[in-house]
Amino acid sequence: MSFAFKLLNREKKLEDCKPLFEDPKYSENRKKLEELLKPLEEATETGLIVKEELCVGCGNCVVVCPVHVADDPHGAGVGRGPTIEDPILRVENGVVKIVNMNKCRRYGKNRILCVACRDNCPSEAISFLEG
Amino acid sequence: MMRFTRFLKTEVEVVVGRHVLAENDAIVFIHPSIAKVAGVKDGDTVELERKGRVVRLKAKISEIAPENGCFIPNGIYASYLADLDNFKRFKANIEVSDGEVTKVEDIMKELSKS
Amino acid sequence: MICPGCSCLCDDIEIIDNVVRNACRRGAELFLKYKENRATPRVNGKEVDVDKAIEAAIDILKDSKNPAIYGFDTTPVEVQELAVKLAEKLNTYIDDNSSFCLGDLVEIVLKKEVPTTTLDDVRDYAYVIMYWGANPYQSLSRHMSRYTYYPRGKERQKGYEEDRFLVVIDIRRSETSMLAKTNARYIIVKNDLELIDSFFKYMEGKPAKYADDVAAIIRELKKSNFNVIFGGLGLKYGLKDLKPFIDLVKKLNEISPTYFIPTGFHANMRGFNETLFEKTGFVNKYSFRENKSDKSFAFTELLKNDLIDSALIVGTDPVKSLPFEVALKLKKIKTIVIDPRNSLTSRIADVVIPSAISGIEQGGTMVRCDGVRVKLETIEEVEVNDYYVMNKILEGI
Repeated sequence: MSFAFKLLNREKKLEDCKPLFEDPKYSENRKKLEELLKPLEEATETGLIVKEELCVGCGNCVVVCPVHVADDPHGAGVGRGPTIEDPILRVENGVVKIVNMNKCRRYGKNRILCVACRDNCPSEAISFLEG
Repeated sequence: MMRFTRFLKTEVEVVVGRHVLAENDAIVFIHPSIAKVAGVKDGDTVELERKGRVVRLKAKISEIAPENGCFIPNGIYASYLADLDNFKRFKANIEVSDGEVTKVEDIMKELSKS
Repeated sequence: MICPGCSCLCDDIEIIDNVVRNACRRGAELFLKYKENRATPRVNGKEVDVDKAIEAAIDILKDSKNPAIYGFDTTPVEVQELAVKLAEKLNTYIDDNSSFCLGDLVEIVLKKEVPTTTLDDVRDYAYVIMYWGANPYQSLSRHMSRYTYYPRGKERQKGYEEDRFLVVIDIRRSETSMLAKTNARYIIVKNDLELIDSFFKYMEGKPAKYADDVAAIIRELKKSNFNVIFGGLGLKYGLKDLKPFIDLVKKLNEISPTYFIPTGFHANMRGFNETLFEKTGFVNKYSFRENKSDKSFAFTELLKNDLIDSALIVGTDPVKSLPFEVALKLKKIKTIVIDPRNSLTSRIADVVIPSAISGIEQGGTMVRCDGVRVKLETIEEVEVNDYYVMNKILEGI
């Protein structure tokens, strides 16, 4: 069980389970697991996924981010494009891109369930792994 | 193929407006309430008819359409159905279609023939 | 860099290593794809030298008894001034997209029938923010994040959850209405007059259809001394006559200062309205022959009633954006299209003259939806632009 948890937390990778890859009788299971874990690959460390095909670049997510408001009070905090070099999110070529996830409050040991960006995206382009 | 829907021509209210992603697409957003009545499924081709003019568009079931109605993005397809007195909001008939989605060229051809 | 994509005219665009930063999808596409699908000079479908095309245009205008000048909402004020000069020289009609778009709403602001403010003041002071018949998510994507609901401001430091009250009024569950969650109100309205009426009835203590919504809004208005209503196409087409709305704004100002700003779309539509207003006292649908503005002088009406024999169409695509009956009429008259790109209208035009994209290849002044003027920048200048073409046409007439 603990291996499964470590997999979801990204502390271990599927490749760490040697028998799964080396023994041919597990190849069905391995394929199924790789399918199940695909969303994990696409999500960032904080579980944030952006569906670019739904994004129109409205910038709501960039401006509501509480970290941006604190770190960039004269930039993203007042509606402008981020003036700091490493914002969490930035609109590039018309769609929002994840630039620096480390600063996100959902990241790291003391992570919290902040959902500001997702809740203010009218087209649900931003979602989190947990739902 | 038996077309049960041949008799399911439904009148809908159509609202026209801006849509960044679908601006030049042959698409119509249909409210779930009317999709049920008209027998339209997501991805179906539907025929919209108004005052003798017909366009075929790809249906997308969505709540951005008005209740009991549809939303067509600004563009040649909306312009083809509208008239000056009913520019952004009008009534049209909708039914599921077997045909191909209307192309811009089809409308331009009709214009050049006139 | 300033983005010329819409009337937001955002001024914080950066282009670094071929990546456009901060512009919304519409704006970014302009910068990324401006070299695509460019028009080439043509007369009767045949490719010619651009100066020959301009000569052909001059011939059409000279021989025409009733030409119409139309478009210009994506050109700078300095080009719009040339357009007005040309219409005057030809003693004829001039109109732009605002006659079927937000011209009426800009007019009540310019005529001072409703109080107005700037987007910067909205960001700094506004508490109740109402979008009436507008869906900025699609038409002015950064409107809410750059200027209104989401940014913090001088007296709005606590952000949208505590320091803003959003009201979205629409006929459908638009994307913008999805944002009216906490400290907000979404009102679904099929008949705008009923909502306006509800305000008056409620304030007179009478029963009203939208009593709950009106009560909530008035309660919030009382909490602040700076509120704003943004009016869009839904408002314009929802009311046959704007007088009830003007009366409502006046009435709301008795409760708390409430300003009005037209939402906008075309980058410089307001510029056209202000330029023509300065010269004639009218915002659109003007005839220099009759020296007045009238519903019948709208470009669409002139075509419908067969009152013109030629049209100079600049920076707009009526075959695509106007009802098909307009396209059918356009085919019958002589048309000159000045456009940087191959529009659908250019396919049926007698003369096609290529031009430059404002804010990327040609500079000038544009007027934001709130009346603030911005000076456009350029990435690369081109010789054959709107100034070149319009000046040559003016010389030739």
